[in-house]
Amino acid sequence: MLEVKGLTKRFGGNIAVDNVSFTVDRPMMIGIIGRSGAGKSTFLRMMNRLTEASEGVLAFEGRNVLPLVGKAKREWQSTCAMIFQQFNLVPRMDVVSNVLHGTLGRRSTLATMFNLYPESDIHQAIDILDRLGIAQHAEKRAEALSGGQQQRVAIARALMQDPKVILADEPIASLDPMNAQTVMEALRRIHDEDGRMVIANLHTLDTARRYCDRIIGMRDGRVVFDGTPAQLTTGVARDIYGAGADFSEAATSTEIRDHHDIEAAEIRNAEVAI
Amino acid sequence: MSFVSPSDDPRHMHNRAAAMIARKRLLTFVAPLFVLGYFVYIFFAFDIMGLAERARLDNAVTLVSDTYSYKTVVERNNRTGEIGVAVEGERKGTYDASNYPGWVTVGEDAALITLDDGGTIEIVGDIVRYDVPGFGVVEATQNRTDGVKLNLDTADLPDWISYSKTRVTITTDAARLSLTKARTEVFVYDFGWELFWVTLDSPYSGHSLMEVLTGPQLDPTRPNIAGAWHDFWNNAIWRHGETAWALFETILMAFLGTFGAAIVALPLAFMAAKNFAPFMAVRMLARRLFDFLRGVDGLIWTILLSRAFGPGPMTGALAMLFTDTGSFGKLFSEALENVDSKQIEGIASTGAKPMQRYRFGVIPQIVPVLLSQVLYFLESNTRSATIIGAITGGGIGLLLTQAMITQKDWEEVTYYIILIILMVMGMDTISSWLRRKLIKGD
Amino acid sequence: MADLSAAPLDATRAHYLALTRQRRLYGGIMLLVFVLLMASGFGIANDRNAGGFLPGLPHIFDFPAGVISEAWTKRANLPDHLRNALPALVETINIAAVATLFGAFFAILLSMFATRGLAPWPRLIPVFRRIMDLMRAVPEIVIALVLIFVLGGGPVPAAIAIAFHTVGALGKLFSEVNENADQKPLEGLASVGAIWPQRMLLGLVPQVAPNWFSYALLRFEINIRASAILGFVGAGGIGYELKNAISWGQGKFDEAAAVFILLFLTIVFFDQLSSYVRNRLTYGSDKGAGK
Ligand SMILES: Nc1ncnc2c1ncn2[C@@H]1O[C@H](COP(=O)(O)OP(=O)(O)OP(=O)(O)O)[C@@H](O)[C@H]1O
Ligand SMILES: [Mg+2]
Repeated sequence: MLEVKGLTKRFGGNIAVDNVSFTVDRPMMIGIIGRSGAGKSTFLRMMNRLTEASEGVLAFEGRNVLPLVGKAKREWQSTCAMIFQQFNLVPRMDVVSNVLHGTLGRRSTLATMFNLYPESDIHQAIDILDRLGIAQHAEKRAEALSGGQQQRVAIARALMQDPKVILADEPIASLDPMNAQTVMEALRRIHDEDGRMVIANLHTLDTARRYCDRIIGMRDGRVVFDGTPAQLTTGVARDIYGAGADFSEAATSTEIRDHHDIEAAEIRNAEVAI
Repeated sequence: MSFVSPSDDPRHMHNRAAAMIARKRLLTFVAPLFVLGYFVYIFFAFDIMGLAERARLDNAVTLVSDTYSYKTVVERNNRTGEIGVAVEGERKGTYDASNYPGWVTVGEDAALITLDDGGTIEIVGDIVRYDVPGFGVVEATQNRTDGVKLNLDTADLPDWISYSKTRVTITTDAARLSLTKARTEVFVYDFGWELFWVTLDSPYSGHSLMEVLTGPQLDPTRPNIAGAWHDFWNNAIWRHGETAWALFETILMAFLGTFGAAIVALPLAFMAAKNFAPFMAVRMLARRLFDFLRGVDGLIWTILLSRAFGPGPMTGALAMLFTDTGSFGKLFSEALENVDSKQIEGIASTGAKPMQRYRFGVIPQIVPVLLSQVLYFLESNTRSATIIGAITGGGIGLLLTQAMITQKDWEEVTYYIILIILMVMGMDTISSWLRRKLIKGD
Repeated sequence: MADLSAAPLDATRAHYLALTRQRRLYGGIMLLVFVLLMASGFGIANDRNAGGFLPGLPHIFDFPAGVISEAWTKRANLPDHLRNALPALVETINIAAVATLFGAFFAILLSMFATRGLAPWPRLIPVFRRIMDLMRAVPEIVIALVLIFVLGGGPVPAAIAIAFHTVGALGKLFSEVNENADQKPLEGLASVGAIWPQRMLLGLVPQVAPNWFSYALLRFEINIRASAILGFVGAGGIGYELKNAISWGQGKFDEAAAVFILLFLTIVFFDQLSSYVRNRLTYGSDKGAGK
């Protein structure tokens, strides 16, 4: 379904993504982890074609999407929606209009210039908002919403594209634990119910473990781990993050957990410290 | 930011602090001294001493008194013996025998004027008698051969009477009388702006607003309101209709110039903005164009364009359009350079076409900035349009300069000035209201 | 969650659609009105202009071409003409400078009188605001023409006229700056018994002076333009020279060209200078603090 081969990105002499290869054969929820600067964002941006790749192949359903240009490139972009850490909404426009931006790829330029969208699109947008539990904010300006609500608007915009893949670049990094959980659950539900592939950059291990079917660990642009959450032990995580013995998983956590989990984590940390 | 110095010992730091304070002290003393010196230079360069000689204070007095009062002239032509009464001595304000004002009675080659302070002026043939309260009767005569004569000792006259062989002038607070061989003139002053509503030839002259609105029909051919409005609008002295047109023309110039410039400048600004310009060369070119358009300035543009298009409001509008395209281009491109690229990326990630990217990623961000700039310019251009109108011959600026050149209708000048100020303040109110409304709403 | 909100969802949808329709309608009307205004406005302006737009368009370069060609044939005279026009240019700049200095001074006073927290007589704040609005609304030409009648031609009427408007224009900007100033230093000074002028001089001025200066500089540049234009209506300076040179018509165009060049260079120079200095003031300079 998705095949990445030798994907590389160089910024001048600096290699951000280094010869990344992996395959995904069915829609899954994939988490990419790695420390800051590991190349996670660059990978997703190359996939969405916001950043040009230097080398390699990224084939989706048998077609390499990297050389696409013009209309074909835009069509690919609308198949592969992107969610950003800072939401990247248009703050001064209302929520529904922001969601409707997901249809820009398939609607005529002229009509959209004047904000003329078909009524069915508007209905669909409101349904999607309802599905994400924020329909009551439909008429507000995006900037009037909380961070978690804005991120759900961004997810709604992505869903509006009716994509096969949803890329999420640290979708919960600027959210509080409560909102982070809502957003991650929404993404998971989209995967479960619609069967869309979700690839999310995450910087908290427990989130990745909890929501993802498969985890890819990156370090200095290279894939250093690719496996199930169960295979991601603390030792492996320490390798991925290139941390010393004092590495604490809790430090990367933003999730709300019940007491039991916290206790478990504390015990684990204690072991690590020993 | 930091002081990178080899020897950061305390003594060194003390010295530096002392030097800094000394520099500050120098600045606080030297700057005012410099300004003072400059003013001394200006005192001589602008010839302030000579100003006292050049200043015409009598002009100032006429100007001020004209703005709140007007004079009615009773005039006898001493050659023909005809007597006439006219407001400001203007033909358009001449009374006919049926409607002389109450304070004057005109008889056969004679007129009697009763003044507010109890004095009277009597014209009888070639003789004029002014009964000044608390002084007595001053009698002056003229005839063709002997010239002008006075019944007082001409060597010992009060300073409000001036006498020469050819002219007698008596000036009191209530009136001014002047007698020459050619004519006898009495000027009587009244408060207010004369004939502001309708001229004397209108049937509505001398009637109150209530009478016009509710009273009997004054002109058999027209209904009162329509007739009165027509006579007001076409008032030959005040020309209200023309004045309104001139105001409209001024605002029109500002409107066309400002919005025209904004429309032209927006696409050019994209070319001049770092993050949108396709090539460095295009960007440099666009920026130099803006500098050029601004540098030529409205004055020169007005002169250049009026050669091609002739005088008029369009020339003024185009002149403003040219200058402001430069200003807007500069401001807009700065606004474009400050846009948040995240929003554009968000739109781009959905597969939007370039136009759609601009429409939703860029425009919503810059519209508030643009709009507030444009509306700010609209207000300031209303003022510029007054000045440009004076040069290129259009709008209220032209009426103002024309009224000034005649140097007598200062009440009209005052009228225009008040209208101009109201117009600018009105535009200011509208533009700040729109700014609030459009930028908050959207 | 979805079950609960089924009924409200329909309401939301209906409401949003109604809102969209209304917005489209208003947007459409506004766009239409704007386009109509522009088009009919242009039509009216065109009709009332002595020459029309289209007939004039081919001749737009006639006059500049005439001036340039004449100036070129007599280019030997150009340095002399430039030198002769220099005193007038200095006068124009002086008018602008004096007007800006006086205007800024009174604007500072008025702006302090009109800012809450600074005003010595808080009740009069609205009065001072109105006064500034009024002064701002008076176009320079109005005062200049009246003063030329009273004082005779020359630089003084122009300087007074420009200064008057400057007080209003800068006063408004200054009071916006003052409003953003921190009040704490003023309270601190008040607590040690400083009187009003001391509080302003020591507590307010250091905070706001760079912003004031930056606005005054911008105004100076605008005032140079105003001063040139007033010269054209009789107040002396380079504008007056320009008027004389072009009213002679053909044969004196080389003089006109000299004045054009001088005026253009002056405006560009002060435009660039003021934006350079203002940029340095707002963003600081790379070598500022170290030296
Ligand atoms: N536009 C760019 N120009 C030059 N270098 C870049 C650019 N974008 C990213 N890089 C570099 O590429 C490397 C990978 O960056 P990337 O943003 O992909 O990391 P990341 O894993 O997403 O990190 P983070 O967790 O901090 O978001 C970094 O060294 C970064 O400095
Ligand atoms: Mg990143």
